[in-house]
Amino acid sequence: MIIKDDIKNLLDELIKVKAVFAPKKDAEDTVLFGKLASGAEWYGDSLLTHTTAKDKVYLQSETFFKIKKDKNGVFLEDPAEPAETVIFGCRPCDARGFDIIGKLFNWSGFVDEYYTKRIQKTTIITISCEKPESTCFCTSFLNGSPVNSTGSDLLLTPLKEGSCLAEAITAKGEAIITGYSRYFKEAGAAEEKAKIEFKTEAEKKITKKLDLPGIKQKLDTSFDSSYWDTAHLPCVKCGACTFVCPTCYCFDITEKAFDNINSERVRSWDTCMSELFTRMAGGVNPRIDTKKRFRQRFMHKFNYHVDNFKEELCTGCGRCIKACPVSIDIRSVIENV
Amino acid sequence: MAENIYKPHLAKVVEIKAETGDIKSYKFELQDPEVRKTFTWKAGQFLILDIFGIGETIFTFANPQTRSEFVECTIRKVGRVTEAIHELEIGATVGLRGPYGNWFPFDKWQGKNLLYIAGGVGLAALRSSIEFALDTFKDFKKKTILYGARSPLDICYKDRFSDWEKVPDTEIILTADKGADGWKHKVGFVPAVLKEVHPSPADSVAIICGPPIMIKFVLKELLDLGFTPEQIVTTLEMRMKCGLGKCGRCNVKHLYICKDGPVFTYSQLKDLPDEY
Repeated sequence: MIIKDDIKNLLDELIKVKAVFAPKKDAEDTVLFGKLASGAEWYGDSLLTHTTAKDKVYLQSETFFKIKKDKNGVFLEDPAEPAETVIFGCRPCDARGFDIIGKLFNWSGFVDEYYTKRIQKTTIITISCEKPESTCFCTSFLNGSPVNSTGSDLLLTPLKEGSCLAEAITAKGEAIITGYSRYFKEAGAAEEKAKIEFKTEAEKKITKKLDLPGIKQKLDTSFDSSYWDTAHLPCVKCGACTFVCPTCYCFDITEKAFDNINSERVRSWDTCMSELFTRMAGGVNPRIDTKKRFRQRFMHKFNYHVDNFKEELCTGCGRCIKACPVSIDIRSVIENV
Repeated sequence: MAENIYKPHLAKVVEIKAETGDIKSYKFELQDPEVRKTFTWKAGQFLILDIFGIGETIFTFANPQTRSEFVECTIRKVGRVTEAIHELEIGATVGLRGPYGNWFPFDKWQGKNLLYIAGGVGLAALRSSIEFALDTFKDFKKKTILYGARSPLDICYKDRFSDWEKVPDTEIILTADKGADGWKHKVGFVPAVLKEVHPSPADSVAIICGPPIMIKFVLKELLDLGFTPEQIVTTLEMRMKCGLGKCGRCNVKHLYICKDGPVFTYSQLKDLPDEY
């Protein structure tokens, strides 16, 4: 258990030894995960940050290695090792996103060392959601809830008496509690009970529950459905949905050349909404139509990924619903197939 | 931690050969002697070639594991990276990583007739398979290679055919969409020549690669000839970046061409949506 007032003190301590990212207002009052200079900068009043914390582990643009090519040959230089990091104030949907992406980055025995090294050095401290919004639908997913701990190292659940129940989920979370034990005290049965009440109350606020197994089954046979002929029409292919998503992971690998000698191999987030995503040299493009790209996004999340990983590529954060400039709601798109 | 999956091995260009006006073949020698010893692949797999300062692109291994002194690729100039490749000179350093993907299922083809059908630069994707079959010819019955290109000038691997034909029970049938003076082979599209040659499906496997339009009509002919979907094998290409099923773009349904392919039987493909 930790007293809410002590959270800022804990953050101040953590800042001394790690890079700490937490929800923070920027110059335009947008709440984003920013690097804290002091615990007082943490802004804990909003439910969801504008974008996820995904980019703190899976960088939006990341140098794989530097290349130097001169008359003596080609030399590749590895990037610096990632720093010890804390993501504080993550929500359960965002934390679960790390778990989902992590499986992809370790898929079939091929380990993406850039993601893996960074997540190993990151401690994720999640805060349970007291007031889910109308766009939230985490309870549609297996074990999904405003207090779900998947992907988190430490879970803080606010209780009524101005304190939070602190639960270590992993050894990294345990290390925070033991390393800063002066801020934590033992919780009892009353706190455990309060957490159950918290969960019940919070889940009541989530009114939309999708039948995901039913949707998966429906999508199995609806690739050729005429539904897609019209469903995609409002979409403007901006890709905002993919960039705010805690689970969208598709990437591009490109070369950033500075001059004839120096360049960098760079991995950047990409979006399946872009025509370039699948366009081959020579111009052939299997997903040239918006319809195909639109269908790919929903099929990938609720059908293909389920075939490969036995879980959806979505955590129900609802950010894509908020970010869409033409109000496309992911929940209705898949329910109406 | 195991080796970095995105980091290429360094290699040098040791041989360049112009095949046609826009196709060149390259031999690369891996620089690290240790890597040279351990680097191996199976016919049908592909690699990612790295032109430092320009970027990466996917190519199939043109040579089989039975001829693995160098890594060979046959490359048509078609985009930004391949243009840069066509400007490489002997001695240039490139990177390569792989091998990726699945391979031709030779263990299932033991004792069968192999019918290779290729169009244009598609022959490059089948060369490793053809040469593997020729190097292990005792394991197979007749090897037939039906190959067509737009014109006699666009025929790739001209100087390899005489060696190929020396292998017992091997036949090469060449065709050009349009003939030219001195062209002693067939004239006409590959599917039409296939119909004329009329191969028997008995105890046979057809392995095809070429432009989509050729594949479409070759498939129709093969089915008409009595080949079952299980007896028809092809290799697909899609835009790829990682080669490992992670970058998310080369999927057809839940399958990733880079990881679950590129080699598929027609019986697998006919149940997949036409999104490749």
